[in-house]
Amino acid sequence: MKQTLFSASLANGITLLGEHLPELESVAIAFHTPAGAIHDPVGKCGIAALSGEMCLRGAGDRTSRQIVEALEGAGIQWSQAVSTTHASVSGAMVSRRLPDALPLYADIIRRPRLAGAEFEPARQMMLQNLAGTEDDPVHRTMLALRQLHFPAPWGRPAEGLSADVEALAVEDVRRFVASHAQPQGTIIAIAGRIDWDDFVARIDRLFGDWQPGAPTTVATGPRGPRVAHVPHDSQQTHIAIAWTLPPYRSDESYEATAALGILGGGSSSRLFTEVRERRGLCYSVSSGYQTHRDFALALCYSGTTAARAQETLDVILAEIERLPGTITPEEVDRIKARAKSQLVMQQESSAARAGAAARQWYHLGTVRPLSEELARYDALSVESIERWLAAQPPKDLSIVSLGREPLEVPSALSA
Amino acid sequence: MPFLHERLDNGLDVIAETSTAAVSASLGFFVNTGARDERDAEWGVSHFLEHMIFKGTADLSGDEINRRFDGMGASANAFTSEEDTVYYATVLPERQTEAVELLARMMRPALRAEDFDTEKLVILEEIRMYDDQPPFGADERCRAAFFGGHPLFRSVLGTVESIGALPVEAMRDYHARRYAPNRMVLAASGAIDFATLVADARRWCGHWKPEPDAAPRLVTAQPRSAAVPAVQQIERPAATLAYAVRAVAGPDEHHADRFAAKLLTTVLGDSSGSRLYWEFVDTGAAEQATLHHQEFLDAGLFVSQLSCAAEDAPELLERIAALYRQVSREGIGREEFEQARNKLAGRVVLAGERPRRRLFEGGGEWAHSGIYRTVGESLAIVESLTRDDLHRVLESWPLDAPAATIIAGPGGLVTP
Repeated sequence: MKQTLFSASLANGITLLGEHLPELESVAIAFHTPAGAIHDPVGKCGIAALSGEMCLRGAGDRTSRQIVEALEGAGIQWSQAVSTTHASVSGAMVSRRLPDALPLYADIIRRPRLAGAEFEPARQMMLQNLAGTEDDPVHRTMLALRQLHFPAPWGRPAEGLSADVEALAVEDVRRFVASHAQPQGTIIAIAGRIDWDDFVARIDRLFGDWQPGAPTTVATGPRGPRVAHVPHDSQQTHIAIAWTLPPYRSDESYEATAALGILGGGSSSRLFTEVRERRGLCYSVSSGYQTHRDFALALCYSGTTAARAQETLDVILAEIERLPGTITPEEVDRIKARAKSQLVMQQESSAARAGAAARQWYHLGTVRPLSEELARYDALSVESIERWLAAQPPKDLSIVSLGREPLEVPSALSA
Repeated sequence: MPFLHERLDNGLDVIAETSTAAVSASLGFFVNTGARDERDAEWGVSHFLEHMIFKGTADLSGDEINRRFDGMGASANAFTSEEDTVYYATVLPERQTEAVELLARMMRPALRAEDFDTEKLVILEEIRMYDDQPPFGADERCRAAFFGGHPLFRSVLGTVESIGALPVEAMRDYHARRYAPNRMVLAASGAIDFATLVADARRWCGHWKPEPDAAPRLVTAQPRSAAVPAVQQIERPAATLAYAVRAVAGPDEHHADRFAAKLLTTVLGDSSGSRLYWEFVDTGAAEQATLHHQEFLDAGLFVSQLSCAAEDAPELLERIAALYRQVSREGIGREEFEQARNKLAGRVVLAGERPRRRLFEGGGEWAHSGIYRTVGESLAIVESLTRDDLHRVLESWPLDAPAATIIAGPGGLVTP
């Protein structure tokens, strides 16, 4: 598969990544600064998220409203988000709009006003969103699982904690932006119909004189208990299970991804077949692989009526335990076919390709070509997956339930 | 992007929008049936049947269907609405024939009693899953309040009672009635080989018996609109926020003003940069405040959605109504109009790059009205809209008309 990939770096530490997709009329761009929630100090959980929101509320010589009007008036589909590791602003647009869009993004990233008058509305907006997530039991279950399973601060919610957000002040935001929104570690990824040389020149003019700040570090703390129940007045009990896996940059991540796919990815997976198709225990059940730079995890989820929750958990745990030693060639073939489709079809979405490039750079320090990704999937076999499973069978599971009654967790797999 | 169409002898329409730029092929059966076509004793059968279609045919088990889709690397699924049931798969082009065969064979399911009983448990779980999420339910209750006795009042999922009481024979009867080839479209988009598509359709669907005089959809002359302003409350003790839904009449899907209606809602109630956004969301007064346009065969709705602290809901609903009164007095500004039109145009172009998005748009439109539009034609419509068009919509379907309103949330609400 022929790909046109580019990369460059500026002296101040910014990485530029690009992929030319000539069949598209669009271009998608994403700016990721290393101002993620991992840097939220204890007691100020939510400061990264609030800072991300504040950066859009007035920047350069534009007010909050003028920024949105400029983006949307140019037909740009924009978004802003703060994850554990990065603060991101992005946009997808018809390619001829790009030259006008870049200076806007440069203002948002480099010259946010962080005005006192915008602080209270921004904080209220965040508190509203946090209250909304209280009404989403699946989201709450997964948050509880991350907090339980990850060492601090990796498991803290990137969206913040209401009690902490209530106590934040605009000075907190200013301090956070000054120390964490900086060029080292910033990734700017673009994909679609692009002119790479012109793009690099424009970015250099807009970001080249951005001065690096002091380096920041993250201290990783202890982790909490591994089994927990969150009481909630709901008809369904939600179950989430995690265990630790090798990260994406490890050579074994493809085996891990495949094993998790065989367990619970797709409608022919074991969990879907045994829990939903065979027994009708639930509407949704799945498992997948989620990675950070230094560690990754297996995540399983299901939600089911309280009376059938124990059976659901028991069946899921039995399937997890049964995994080593039982992988079939047909299952591996299906995993390969699904991976190939997904990788090839990404080519139709400029935003998906820009996202993939940034992700790979963060994890690997390079952009892995599609052909290499495909080759790694092609190299998977029953033997390679079994070898990995034998060395790292699922163990030390963290289990969270949310609902009216706690569940019984057998001790065999969990610590 | 060439458009191709062929009708089989039994009435099955085969359509495709082919693209040389695409690397995927999206395929789908669009069945002209949904919740509004159900009889009282069948409430929820359209959606339940959609699940059962994946449980196998006389010579294919449900497990085999799942294995085949995953084995061809397909991204396959289905959905049911008030007026449509759609089954689709996106695959690499070399899998086109395989995907068409599987989808086509699935359209003639076995509907085994044993599978029916197991899948009924899954449907009941799906209903409870949504029941546990306060934002869901308010929307359906609002539609029920707005439509009264009109067939569109029915929720797609059905209820625990209606699903519990449904016998498998009723589903078999519904399938025989509604899945005739002259009520279906096989649509495709992306890297499609049309000659092969038609040949495969003949092979797998050619023998399906048409319904000789397929009665037109249950189109009613005049949907009942809420003549009396009504606010109903649903107690959701476990909810944190209150969720309000407010509906008034809008243009239906055959009306020329449907495009202007979309643009009007973009100006007033898009999820960012709209009037509702700046007044309620940007200020932190509400978690969400949006306005959107829903269209059906013979009815349309302007639906406002608000989520906020329970004690604020009555006042914020009144402020939304006041905003609508102001708009109907003073009209739409030039700048906000231009911004929204550019935004909508941008969306049309970007969506045009994804075969699956084109499949849903093209297949859905064709299944209802036999109309096909290129991305360029859709763009031209958006770009031709003027403020006068929006003002005409505001006059014909006043947003400040008496509305059906539902508030779902924790107790202690005050009726405005």
